[in-house]
Amino acid sequence: MAHNDVVVVTDGLSKHFGDFVAVDRFNLEVKAGTVVSLLGPNGAGKTTIVRMIATLIKPTAGSATVCGYDVVRDSDAVRSVLSLTGQFAALEDNLTARENLVLMARLRGYSRKDAAHVTDGLIDRFDIGEFRDKLVKSVSGGQRRRIDLAASLVVEPRVLVLDEPTTGLDPRSRQVVWSTIRELVATGVTLFLTTQYLEEADALADYIVLLDHGRATARGTANDLKSQIGDQRVDVVAADAAGLEKLVLGLSSNFHLTVSAEQRMVSIPAPDDVNDLAKVASAVHDVGVEVDEIALRRPTLDDAFLALTGQPLAKDQTDHDLEESRS
Amino acid sequence: MTVIDIERPSDYAALPPRPAPFRRFFTETALLVGRGLRTIPRVPSRLSDVTIQPLIFTLLFLYVFGSAIHIPGIRYQDYLLPGLIGQSLAFGVIGAGTATATDFATGVVDRFRSLPVTRLSVITSQVVGQILEQILGLVIVAAVGIGLGWRPHLNVGSAFELVGLMLLGLTAFTWFGVLMGMIFKSADAMQGIGFAVVFPLTFLAGAFVPISGMKLIPRTIGEWDPLSALVAAVRHVCQGTNSSGSWQLTHPVVSMIFWCALITAVCVPLALRRFRTTTAAK
Repeated sequence: MAHNDVVVVTDGLSKHFGDFVAVDRFNLEVKAGTVVSLLGPNGAGKTTIVRMIATLIKPTAGSATVCGYDVVRDSDAVRSVLSLTGQFAALEDNLTARENLVLMARLRGYSRKDAAHVTDGLIDRFDIGEFRDKLVKSVSGGQRRRIDLAASLVVEPRVLVLDEPTTGLDPRSRQVVWSTIRELVATGVTLFLTTQYLEEADALADYIVLLDHGRATARGTANDLKSQIGDQRVDVVAADAAGLEKLVLGLSSNFHLTVSAEQRMVSIPAPDDVNDLAKVASAVHDVGVEVDEIALRRPTLDDAFLALTGQPLAKDQTDHDLEESRS
Repeated sequence: MTVIDIERPSDYAALPPRPAPFRRFFTETALLVGRGLRTIPRVPSRLSDVTIQPLIFTLLFLYVFGSAIHIPGIRYQDYLLPGLIGQSLAFGVIGAGTATATDFATGVVDRFRSLPVTRLSVITSQVVGQILEQILGLVIVAAVGIGLGWRPHLNVGSAFELVGLMLLGLTAFTWFGVLMGMIFKSADAMQGIGFAVVFPLTFLAGAFVPISGMKLIPRTIGEWDPLSALVAAVRHVCQGTNSSGSWQLTHPVVSMIFWCALITAVCVPLALRRFRTTTAAK
């Protein structure tokens, strides 16, 4: 058994669907009170890992424990210390927000009276009051997510697992969900979170594991990873191939260029924000070629993969397509 | 984290000690069935599937086609209503399948399974909820039928027999539907395939016109269609009529019990197995 302050431990955790290796010997420790994020594109195996930890599917090899309980042998005990919020905000559409929460509380074992008490507390805490008696199918995506989070917190879990909590949300709703998650974290909840957005892992997590094709390819704090990825960049897109050549000639002496010929683009690290943008812009002006675009861009998941794995991000099937085609 | 217990919400009451799994199974099943029943009045289409459609059939056959259908020895109301009840039972496959597929697709089942609830209660509640919904539909159809002149000849014994057969049929067809829902995983596919298969089989099952008068091919299918045994058994119990033709039509009650037992015996283990391995569809 792991130390007391380690909540989730995976050891060589693997999942195969037929010949396809969805998760390959994944190792992780999540310490109590921390936020760990699995970051990766669709099909990287994030959801599969979450499902194994939440006892929804069994590992093919390796093991995982939650609070010392084995996910296969003690699955019922695992379910009582862990709360999962899956990707799809799994609520009953035709019950109200409040009815959904009461149902969850009752299923966790509360009496009718205690379930009502817990639910009212959550409605306050997650600011659900305004739409507590609306049917879930008629609330907005962001509101739905809040109800969903609240539903995972009808008991105080030792570990909260959020699978892509903001996928499909508009930027404003995303901000709201983030601030809700931050508040949760401030109360000391241990959080295990998956995301496709570098920005989200950066905003929320203490520790990030980058996942690609079922393997952990890099891990560390957001700062560790960012120092490897590099900061934001200035991208310059030339109007034509001849222009790109001139740009490369004119800029390579002063800047560290990454050239992408098929996109007619040069990309330059810009750790110094707008100052770097201004320097690049004035250099481009001096070269005197026509450009389609010149822009300051934050690093994306693609950049992270390029920097950390040396390979661009593959456009892949989603976890679920794969699972479905193999189940 | 530096922030602390002071800010930790104090809304959590202590959980009572967990009862034995056996007790929990009943509580949890009841909670989940309650969840399903509570949504019925809010999704009118679900109830209309089990009522409006049989009602349209009742009116259509009674007042439109029925004028050209003469079945010797029995009033058409008395012939038709048992047939419609049999048809409604068979359509339970589609309702159960659609509801199950929807629950899997939306991840609701995964959420329930990630809770410390007995897993059997999740699937049992699906079956029980569907059966209750079907019973509601059957009662409405029967009541309207009686209003339009259907006169079942039931005594206490045959009333119990009818209820027993209905529950058996509901159990078999609902489990079948739940299994199909887990296989297709899509409510649309479930509806499409369901109607394409179940509809023709109910037409051939002697629900509306006697099988004995059909041409060779439909007659042969109808004579061995399990739904024919169902329809003939309901009609036999309600009206005391006897059907002629294949063995299953001359022994409809025994045949119906056999078919339902067979369907249940095949579908329950497959459904439970599937339930353990199936996860959300998208």
